[in-house]
Amino acid sequence: MIVFRQPATARPLRVGIVGGGPGGLFTAWHLERLASAPIEVTIFEASGRLGGKVLTPSFTAAPVRYEAGAAELYDYSPVGDDPLRGVVRSLGLPTVPLAGSAVHVHGRRIANLDDVSAVLGTDGRHRLLDFDAWARSAMTPREFYESGADHAASAAPHGRFDGSLAAACPLSVRPYVEALIHSDLATEPATTTTGYGLQNYLMNDPAYMRLYRIAGGNEQLVNAVAARLSARIRLDAPVTHVAGEPQATITIGWRHAGIPREDAFDVVILALPIEPLSRLAFTDRSLRTAIERHIAHHDHPAHYLRVTLLLDRPVTGVPGEDDYLMLDAFGGTCLYVESGRDPTARHGVLGLLFGGAAAAAMAGETDASLVEAAVATLPQCLGIDGRQVLEARVHRWVGAVSAAPGGWTPLPVDRRHRPSTAHSNLFVVGDYLFDSTLNGVLDSADHVAGWLAAILAGSPFDACVTAGRFP
Amino acid sequence: MIAPDRDHRPTQDPGVGREPATPPLGLPPGATCTRISLPTGEMLDLLAVPMAEQDPARPPEDESARGRIEETVRQWVSAEAAPPTAGVFVPLYGCHVAWTTHRAAVIGPPERLDQLAAAVVGFAGVEADLRAAERRAAALLDTLEDDVGGSLAFEEHRPDRRAELAARHREAVAVCRRLALLAPAVHAPPLHPPTLAGQLGERLRDRTRLVERHEFATHRAEFAERVAEACGQRALEAGIARRQTGLEWAIVVMLVVQTALLVVELLAQRATP
Repeated sequence: MIVFRQPATARPLRVGIVGGGPGGLFTAWHLERLASAPIEVTIFEASGRLGGKVLTPSFTAAPVRYEAGAAELYDYSPVGDDPLRGVVRSLGLPTVPLAGSAVHVHGRRIANLDDVSAVLGTDGRHRLLDFDAWARSAMTPREFYESGADHAASAAPHGRFDGSLAAACPLSVRPYVEALIHSDLATEPATTTTGYGLQNYLMNDPAYMRLYRIAGGNEQLVNAVAARLSARIRLDAPVTHVAGEPQATITIGWRHAGIPREDAFDVVILALPIEPLSRLAFTDRSLRTAIERHIAHHDHPAHYLRVTLLLDRPVTGVPGEDDYLMLDAFGGTCLYVESGRDPTARHGVLGLLFGGAAAAAMAGETDASLVEAAVATLPQCLGIDGRQVLEARVHRWVGAVSAAPGGWTPLPVDRRHRPSTAHSNLFVVGDYLFDSTLNGVLDSADHVAGWLAAILAGSPFDACVTAGRFP
Repeated sequence: MIAPDRDHRPTQDPGVGREPATPPLGLPPGATCTRISLPTGEMLDLLAVPMAEQDPARPPEDESARGRIEETVRQWVSAEAAPPTAGVFVPLYGCHVAWTTHRAAVIGPPERLDQLAAAVVGFAGVEADLRAAERRAAALLDTLEDDVGGSLAFEEHRPDRRAELAARHREAVAVCRRLALLAPAVHAPPLHPPTLAGQLGERLRDRTRLVERHEFATHRAEFAERVAEACGQRALEAGIARRQTGLEWAIVVMLVVQTALLVVELLAQRATP
């Protein structure tokens, strides 16, 4: 009889993931699927729920759900492989396409070239078409698709977007273009690159990408991933510090119910947005310096603020039955008609997404004044004056995403994800490392999980762990 | 030989204005009704109602009058509704479009009516063509049960089957060709920046599930074409086999005759002193 014996030193690779948002969950999920050696994953989440910015809560006045965070997913399948689409499909989640082309400028709707001619005149139409042609020539669908990769990131236009707009977009059509892209940009043209600005303009073209959501709420995506994890999940467990000498195991200090604890890991993945990452204490000086350098490079906060209104009646009067439309108020605001496609809806749900400087400025205001501002922003055609509002919710996402400032060049993808070469077993995952979207955070998680899996497959695991050496 | 199909150009050649139809009562002045001949030979009554865009600042009675007109139009269009598409009603940026297989209506500002009408006629042409192809593909499947046996062995005792199967194969190939010609119109990518006509076309295609219907019809036609091709192969093999058998018998007869002659010749030689 043959007996298989495990070597005395064999034990699972201990992986600690700090952050239970989509970055942490996707990384754990991919790692569990890809790893060719036993692994033991622990996820630390400071709050009482998983999912981070993917949040689909319910109103209290009626059992109606709404998107409070990430409202849409990007579909790149017209151009190439779409990993997020693949994940959604593999989880069996039904999806709904999202569409909308109307922009309200100075109280007038522009939803197509005919409207452009009617509102801006024939000259405005020609100028918009010229700008559109310039934008397409500056970035092809393939370049758009590959914009996060090393070769494309360095080739993308890095000048300031406001300069490009001034040169390529005449004043007559600029309010339209700015209102169209502002809420997606989440920052101002002066504080981002031409490449990033162009992406947010070109995303309206179905040849570049399409939008969709998950039927029943985007939070189902993170819930479905979490349900399939074997990882140990520690909720209400804020991480206080990370300690570890170079080329050694890393200790995570965390707290639960007021009691401080510590756990040692062979590999640590920090899946946090920039702001909580900057609050984390690193006891090793070289690691602290590396993380500070990483934060300094990536800390270019962009802001969202979302006000969602529950109405006592379904929303009618949306021209074109769009799922969303853009308003020129507050520099450009997106209005999501969340209940638009449900013929059985007894209530209406409208979500207003404010972005950029306006969102940052509004974040300090009270919920009541924000709701009042939101109602005043609604287009007249909806016929809503505030009396129909049963309940309103405000979600502030200040600094929740990152915008690439003018002149900024992204780091190579490997360096983005491993801030310290001395601490080769510490990785970073985040949407800010790509394009601040759910697709971007999945790309980031994929990269780190694939990297670790390759290490595990290529070298004897024990050799890596005992020597504290990761290639 | 495959019968030549007509060109699929419903928008360029809508055959407008053969017989004017009667518009419903209660519409504003300027409303016109046109009977349009679609490429399949079907007729489409197209009602065009000029009406300014809805304005929230207008008095409510104006808006209720508009609602009544929209309802009148909807009822007029629905009166001729026929399966599989019972009716599509699209509010679109200040315009309103209603469509069924035999009637359609566009309500909108006068300056936009022409492009809306052209988009509806273009769509109606594609839809009618697709519907015809769907019918032909479905008819092919009806005879499939009988034919499928022939894809394994040709029935020697029924020579008439050969012509029947050949006709079926021609029809299957013709339907596949028709669907292939329709594909660019059905799968036309959305243009950007969009036009009103383009947006209307997209919505109508989406609402009538043109892409899915085209896909299903193509699957059916291709399946029928595969069976018909297999039947043709078996019939061809049967023909070749019959010719081979004839040839073999001819050779046998010739060999027998040759042998007989040889025997006669040998006997004659022996008999000669």
